[in-house]
Amino acid sequence: MPDLKRTQLYDVHVAAGATMVDFGGWEMPIEYPTKIVAEHLYTRHACSLFDVSHMGRILVEGPEMVPFLQHVLSSNVMALDLNQAQYAIIPNENGGAVDDAYLYRFEEDRYLLVVNAANTDKDLVHLNEQIKNYDAKMTVITGDWAAIAVQGPKAKEILQVLSGGEAVTEPMKNALNTLQFEGRTVRVAKTGYTGEPIGYEVYIESAEAAWLWNRLIELGAKPAGLGARDTCRLEACLPLYGHEMGDDPEGKEIPVFAVPLAKFAVSFSEQKGDFIGREPLAKQYEAFKRIQNRDFSDLTELPRKVMPITLLDKGVMRAGMPVYKGDKLIGYTTSGTMVPYYRHEGEGLSTVILEETAKRSIGLAIVDSDTLEDDEVQVDVRGKRLKAVIPPYHMRVDAPPFARPILYRPDEEAAAPASGDRGPKALELIGRAIENHVWRQEKCVNLIPSEMSPSRAVRLLCASDPSFRYAEHKKVKSFYDADVFYYQGTEFIDEVEQLLVEEMKAFMGCAEVETRCVSGQMSNTCVFSALMDWKNRLNRKQDPKRLGYIMNNHIIKGGHLSAQPMGALHDYIAIDPVTERHALVNFPVLKDNIYKIDVEETKKAIDQYRPEFIIFGKSMVLHKEPVAAIRKYVDDMGLQTTIMYDMAHVLGLIGDYFQKPFQEGAEIVTGSTHKTFFGPQRGIVGVNYHKGELKYGLWETIETRAFPGSVSNHHLGTQLGLLMAAYEMNQFKDEYQKAVVSNAKSFAKSLKAAGLDVAGDPANDYTETHQVIVSVGYGTGPDVAMRLERNNIICNYQATPEEEGFTASGALRMGVNEMTRFGFGPAEFDKLAQIMADCILRGKEVKEDIEALRAGYTEMKYCFTEEQVASALNELAKKSGI
Amino acid sequence: MNFPTELKYTKDHEWIKDLGGDTALVGITDFAQSELGDLVFINLPQEGDEVTADESFCDVESVKAVSDVMSPCTGVVEEVHSELEDEPQMLNEDPYGAWIVKVKDISAYGELLSAEEYEAFVQK
Repeated sequence: MPDLKRTQLYDVHVAAGATMVDFGGWEMPIEYPTKIVAEHLYTRHACSLFDVSHMGRILVEGPEMVPFLQHVLSSNVMALDLNQAQYAIIPNENGGAVDDAYLYRFEEDRYLLVVNAANTDKDLVHLNEQIKNYDAKMTVITGDWAAIAVQGPKAKEILQVLSGGEAVTEPMKNALNTLQFEGRTVRVAKTGYTGEPIGYEVYIESAEAAWLWNRLIELGAKPAGLGARDTCRLEACLPLYGHEMGDDPEGKEIPVFAVPLAKFAVSFSEQKGDFIGREPLAKQYEAFKRIQNRDFSDLTELPRKVMPITLLDKGVMRAGMPVYKGDKLIGYTTSGTMVPYYRHEGEGLSTVILEETAKRSIGLAIVDSDTLEDDEVQVDVRGKRLKAVIPPYHMRVDAPPFARPILYRPDEEAAAPASGDRGPKALELIGRAIENHVWRQEKCVNLIPSEMSPSRAVRLLCASDPSFRYAEHKKVKSFYDADVFYYQGTEFIDEVEQLLVEEMKAFMGCAEVETRCVSGQMSNTCVFSALMDWKNRLNRKQDPKRLGYIMNNHIIKGGHLSAQPMGALHDYIAIDPVTERHALVNFPVLKDNIYKIDVEETKKAIDQYRPEFIIFGKSMVLHKEPVAAIRKYVDDMGLQTTIMYDMAHVLGLIGDYFQKPFQEGAEIVTGSTHKTFFGPQRGIVGVNYHKGELKYGLWETIETRAFPGSVSNHHLGTQLGLLMAAYEMNQFKDEYQKAVVSNAKSFAKSLKAAGLDVAGDPANDYTETHQVIVSVGYGTGPDVAMRLERNNIICNYQATPEEEGFTASGALRMGVNEMTRFGFGPAEFDKLAQIMADCILRGKEVKEDIEALRAGYTEMKYCFTEEQVASALNELAKKSGI
Repeated sequence: MNFPTELKYTKDHEWIKDLGGDTALVGITDFAQSELGDLVFINLPQEGDEVTADESFCDVESVKAVSDVMSPCTGVVEEVHSELEDEPQMLNEDPYGAWIVKVKDISAYGELLSAEEYEAFVQK
């Protein structure tokens, strides 16, 4: 094939027996002797290599590189942090696409723009025309650096062999990193065009390209050609220029917003100024929003949009086939073929991917914008009208490490509501509750760190009379801040609540406590809502401003939902107008211990973002939070930052053996009362603001956000139980806290000695809390946790900071708190560690060993066990009919 | 590449095996399957359909494209190899075993090549 360009890997492809074709002026492998179907399937279950060195790679640098890129790309370049990549369109003046592209920022002062091979020359003409107006320059480095896409569930472990175990990139999509692969510098991006949730693109100097390719094959990857790349991207519904972008089958230019991904790739931030295509794109965007709201009154700007399509009749769709709804031509297929997949069985987390494969006939189509999901359509396949449907998608990637094919199936009809005699059902329910109670309380070893069995006293009190009552109350200034109750019959609970407040103040070491929140997450919501209200208190005549910047622990690094924008921060966090993202900055963590905050890097982040609110605390917590160091830094800087410590997990550890948050400088502590604390399931807020201080007003706002802001009925029964728990804690905390921390350290060391991979800092005996984290292998966490459950060991699987999400988790999170309370000491935890190693490492069934171990420890410790208390409880049980 | 000598071939890359008494089996050649790549779908004719020499009677689809299969003879479809509908990859795995149709009442043939001639033809 004369005049065709060849990539750095041409010889490697030919040697492997690839079928070479002309692709955009490049001589590229369409398939290897393995052929497309096998290559597609190998990508989905293992790992494939794709030579993507033909794609245009343009380095952009110079003082005005950002304004230039803002002008020629659709995306907001200011949103791109170092070591991040973003998808972008290169728009033309009409709101169509010159090309689509990926922008990478591997270095502070340079951007790498990657464009389609076939469009590179056209793109360069367009971009060169524009760059004249900017003090910036472009250098084409397509020939200098090769690019290899390494895609599939095994990609990460293969690349980690080359990196010597170092994390290849952060686990999030679009993360970048520069590192060494066996002594060679590589740039790695967590990006790709196969839809794989575990996919990377690796850039390496041309001379080393063949070395890397061959090394990856030695490690178990297999080559895949452009054919499999196309079937993979089609299954993932990723657009291909020339099919879903550019001109449609009628020869009309496809508007950018016709492609669903455009929503993420186009920004109208002020930062972008008058970028190319801004005006028509803004009109398309207005039309897009109307269409999404099913207002089809004006489709002129966006008459058609790209949607997935699945053939229901037998056959195969190809690009350009007419699509009809009834008799009306509504558009054309833009891509289509028969795509293979692995069958699966089982449901939810128990879904098993089988070895058996099948094929399905899927495609993408550009159809009238009033077409809806689940619409039945017909495709004209060479003269025959075949039945087809518009599915929501062909594949999902939110259960990594596997991309999951989604087969079209119409909603099943809901089962008819049950009818008949409920008596037998009532009896069955009671029987099953007994079974469950005995199993969890007497036969299982519970290691879930966020759980605690309360004492008999706490449980009985929770079930006694106040649990059916209301006691709304509010401080009234006219009565010198006396609490006024709205209902009668509440004198007892009023007294209980006051006693509880005093006990909790003493325990937490602070000036004020709010006990009405019924969960830890509600406590956080109360505080966030109060902070926002407080911020806006002097101007109520406009929409309140949200909070930002906020600094917290990233969810993937142990942070909890209750301090994330997707959780309790949702309605309170601002959007940064420059980056168009949440005004959130995460604590940097230490490289050699990802469970610990990096204080020096945190100080730099505080300098840069000057956060108005810092939230310490997390749900995967092995170490103390550096409250004192950050408090001092914030004060030295003269910042007005509010510092909160969400101690949900470690509330019961406040004291000499862990941390004293208020002494270290936290202003607000929230928590849940049933993890390391002894209570029933509730939440708590404590603050160290005193009357007369400015921020005492914030405290008063927190109170009003509890009631009437969050609860009308604050669950009086469990509040009564919590008072007993607070008595128990204040009485026994010294022995209990000491035992929890030393048991956790001892358990961690025993697990390590038994051959398990224990996370955390060995210098601290792996943990300073009640938690122990064990790595069991990437993606195997759910399986191991389920095996342990079958053997009566209850713990939870957890994604580590290097993993993509819960289905990819490779760790177990365990807490010693509940078993410590049932009397386990170092000897029992050592025995438990041996049994767990047998079960995890050697697949041994250990249910009987666990039941035998547990049988000796069913009596609750660290609570009042005197004869007098016991008989009073019997009386309470009798009188309350429990 | 395999070219069994007991078969006759067309320039459109079909094979025909004479079963005697005006009946024959028809399929696609090893060369054809290799060029097409992974076959993922076949659109079969029905029993009793009339087929005409050098006209399409069936189409096969690979991941990449669709191709017509031309009939080497004129006659009537006596039997269809319906297993291929679920497993079109049999055409890749065993092109000379995976016959597509059995044709009866053959009244005419198109241009047919011997194994030797066909091999020379594809190697051009």
